[in-house]
Amino acid sequence: MSINKIDPTKWVDKYSDYLFNYTIARVNDRELANDLISETFLAGLKSMKNFKGEASERTWLISILKRKIIDQYRKINSNKGRAEIKIKYKEDSNEGDWLEEQAPDRFDKTAEDMMENEELGLAILNCMESLPDKQAKIFKMKTIDGFDTETICNEFNITPSNLWVIIHRARTTLAQCLEKNWF
Amino acid sequence: MKKKRSLLPDCTEAGYCCDKKQYNEASFLEKIKMLFHMALCKPCRDYSSKNTKLTKLIEKSDLKPCPEEDKKIWKQTIEKEISK
Repeated sequence: MSINKIDPTKWVDKYSDYLFNYTIARVNDRELANDLISETFLAGLKSMKNFKGEASERTWLISILKRKIIDQYRKINSNKGRAEIKIKYKEDSNEGDWLEEQAPDRFDKTAEDMMENEELGLAILNCMESLPDKQAKIFKMKTIDGFDTETICNEFNITPSNLWVIIHRARTTLAQCLEKNWF
Repeated sequence: MKKKRSLLPDCTEAGYCCDKKQYNEASFLEKIKMLFHMALCKPCRDYSSKNTKLTKLIEKSDLKPCPEEDKKIWKQTIEKEISK
């Protein structure tokens, strides 16, 4: 069995998107997600000696993150008994304000749909890890972050033709990977 | 020597046009050329169908971009911890 090596200097570049999407799907709060990921990296650094290399680095980091998320749920539950209940009545003076808490739940997506979409997102990120670094970065900037072609070309000092060659390669690899792992 | 461009693109060019179309960046002429090519080329039709499927999957997955500022902070924290 191959032994996986650990390299914390590459954690952010390689796994932060995966960890971020994994966390945000569970805590639904960007700030909290950032805190949990930050704590995960620190805990990972502290317990690096315990990494045996049997699992991949990402699996190991996810196992730490899972514990952090569970701790967070526990914290919320232990505060429940002490929670102060505030009921906000709609005042006439607030008319016209769009309060987030008054927004209806989304009716077009069921819990199952959301779970499937989350798994799909993680499968896509998983496949993106198999792309060469530069290809993955450019594909991510173009497809997920939605940057325009000119910005990416300036950032990487490449021509638009180069960019489309890179995007084409990335898309071909991803389509093959997802065909194997998702369909 | 200047490269001669034909009205019908080859498979490589049709592939790039198909990719551009996924990002709404293909021009009208590129789309027309691609359609002509696809009508005659099955492998490119297959690629186009897979490519469209990939775009739909990415949209469906609703992937959230991780903020770059946070990545910078995490990197600095890790480097600081390692150098301790």
